[in-house]
Amino acid sequence: MGLSSMTDRPREIVRVDGLVKNFRPGLGLRSKRVLHGVSFAVREGEIFGFVGPNGAGKTTTLKVLMGLIRPTSGRASILGCDVGEAGFRQHIGFLPENPYFYPFLTGREILRFYARLCGVESSLLAGRVNDLLALVRLEHASDERLSTYSKGMLQRIGIAQALIHDPEVAFLDEPMSGLDPIGRKDIRDIILRLKAAGKTVFMNTHILSDVEMICDRVAIIVKGRIRYEGPIREFLREDELRSDIVLARLSGETSRELGERFSTTIQTVGERVEVQVKDGQLQSFLEAALGAGADILSVTPNRVSLEHIFLEAVEEGEKADAGAGRGGGGTP
Amino acid sequence: MTGSLHRIWPIATNTVREAVRHRLLYTLLFFAVTMIGFAVLIASLSYVEGERIIQDIGLASIRLFSVGIAIFVGIGLIHGEVDRRTIYTILAKPVTRAEFLLGKFFGLLLTVWLQLLLMGLAFVLVSLSVGAPLDWGYAAALFLVGIELMVIVAVATLFSSFSTPMLSAFFTLGIYALGHLSRNLYFLGQEAEVDSVRRAATLLYRVLPDLETFNVSIQAVHGLPIPASEVAWAVLYGLAYTTALLSLAIYIFHRRDLE
Repeated sequence: MGLSSMTDRPREIVRVDGLVKNFRPGLGLRSKRVLHGVSFAVREGEIFGFVGPNGAGKTTTLKVLMGLIRPTSGRASILGCDVGEAGFRQHIGFLPENPYFYPFLTGREILRFYARLCGVESSLLAGRVNDLLALVRLEHASDERLSTYSKGMLQRIGIAQALIHDPEVAFLDEPMSGLDPIGRKDIRDIILRLKAAGKTVFMNTHILSDVEMICDRVAIIVKGRIRYEGPIREFLREDELRSDIVLARLSGETSRELGERFSTTIQTVGERVEVQVKDGQLQSFLEAALGAGADILSVTPNRVSLEHIFLEAVEEGEKADAGAGRGGGGTP
Repeated sequence: MTGSLHRIWPIATNTVREAVRHRLLYTLLFFAVTMIGFAVLIASLSYVEGERIIQDIGLASIRLFSVGIAIFVGIGLIHGEVDRRTIYTILAKPVTRAEFLLGKFFGLLLTVWLQLLLMGLAFVLVSLSVGAPLDWGYAAALFLVGIELMVIVAVATLFSSFSTPMLSAFFTLGIYALGHLSRNLYFLGQEAEVDSVRRAATLLYRVLPDLETFNVSIQAVHGLPIPASEVAWAVLYGLAYTTALLSLAIYIFHRRDLE
């Protein structure tokens, strides 16, 4: 990274301005507003989490970005091009939610198909397909039909097709949903590798632990409105991060002492002692417990659930809507 | 333009691959070939013109089954891609909606032409085995069936670009039936005494395809001459009608939200 990039503001890869989308459920029915003036920006080289509960408008926004649906109003651009154009798509990769591919093709055939659509040269094609199969660890199943693939394998082949033409930006819709822990780690590793290679990643998700682990910045969307845009740590606030600790061989007196010192409640269940402490105090609490001769059975990070935060945000939104009266509702 | 071809071609070949890996196609093809063979049995029941009966039934079977295949595969052509969301990853690549639609159209067209070729081969073999005469008239008849199929595939593509398979099948079958009657409807309308009926009949004839243009089976079976100009006109008409249908399909598909 050069000096200039440290002083200059990073280039904006995605720009969304006042995006509004209405859907008409059927003939004669009133249209429903799904996006209410959504705006955010994704900067070059970052992993950007577009976070929200189910039905918040994440996939709708992503479909507008991919040119699959048209916005009712507002603008969206990728790499400086309007999303209605096709040219810039040479530089982007897309993994839809629960991807589905032609079941009659094999893993290798589908990657060859996408590579040809992206204009990958014939001489490079076989090598590129092999590289991607290796990246997503599907070499063993490359000549099997996709109809025999498990959900996790389909997700991986989905990642491979998104990256087949070595795009500058990857758009991933719920890339880790429905995967087992190993599958999730594999996908996380791939995303981090993309970032290390200087790529930009836009990721839709509703799983906070994934966001915390890999995202640089997030936009939180609730009911079609952006509630927050910025670094994830600022959103969560450090003092809300806690860990659950399970101890053994801790006397009642020491328990009370520790509880008072760290302003927390200590529960005793038989010989086990359970306590929750703030992350900032974790180190000193563990030292104090060990000093008192306790055994530490487990330490589990306990993150404030995203759903909890969303519930608060939704309630706030509903209060705001109620305050604004019926005129401020979502139906145009 | 060359770039477009590089994107249309993989979509077309993939559509062919999807069709040839589908059991339904083989079932229909099997029935068609059986039907052509069955003509031999029917002809043996007749004392006169057995060979002509064989070829008449053979050509009719080819027409019927190839249109059947075109409609059955064509109606879900675009709808299936949207429904199964396979289209999402394709349109996220540098592929325009027009290129996607044309790829699907050419893929289906290649598929029905391929099966037409196989049925034509079965027809030739049956004709040779019973010693029925074969001349260029049959080649022209089969060639024009191919052009008619192009129009039918374009009709199916158009309806598939915005409606469900069920409605597409209904509309396409309707257009196919009306397309074969449109010439008669036109002549019938011109006999009417009311001016507006005559005008309506003319308008209907202009809008609906005149599929009888592609039907030279009777001339072929009876050994009547088929002028080259008639074939050339049918090809031009088929190309123009297909282009108009595809343009409309692209226009509609381009404006659609793919939810």
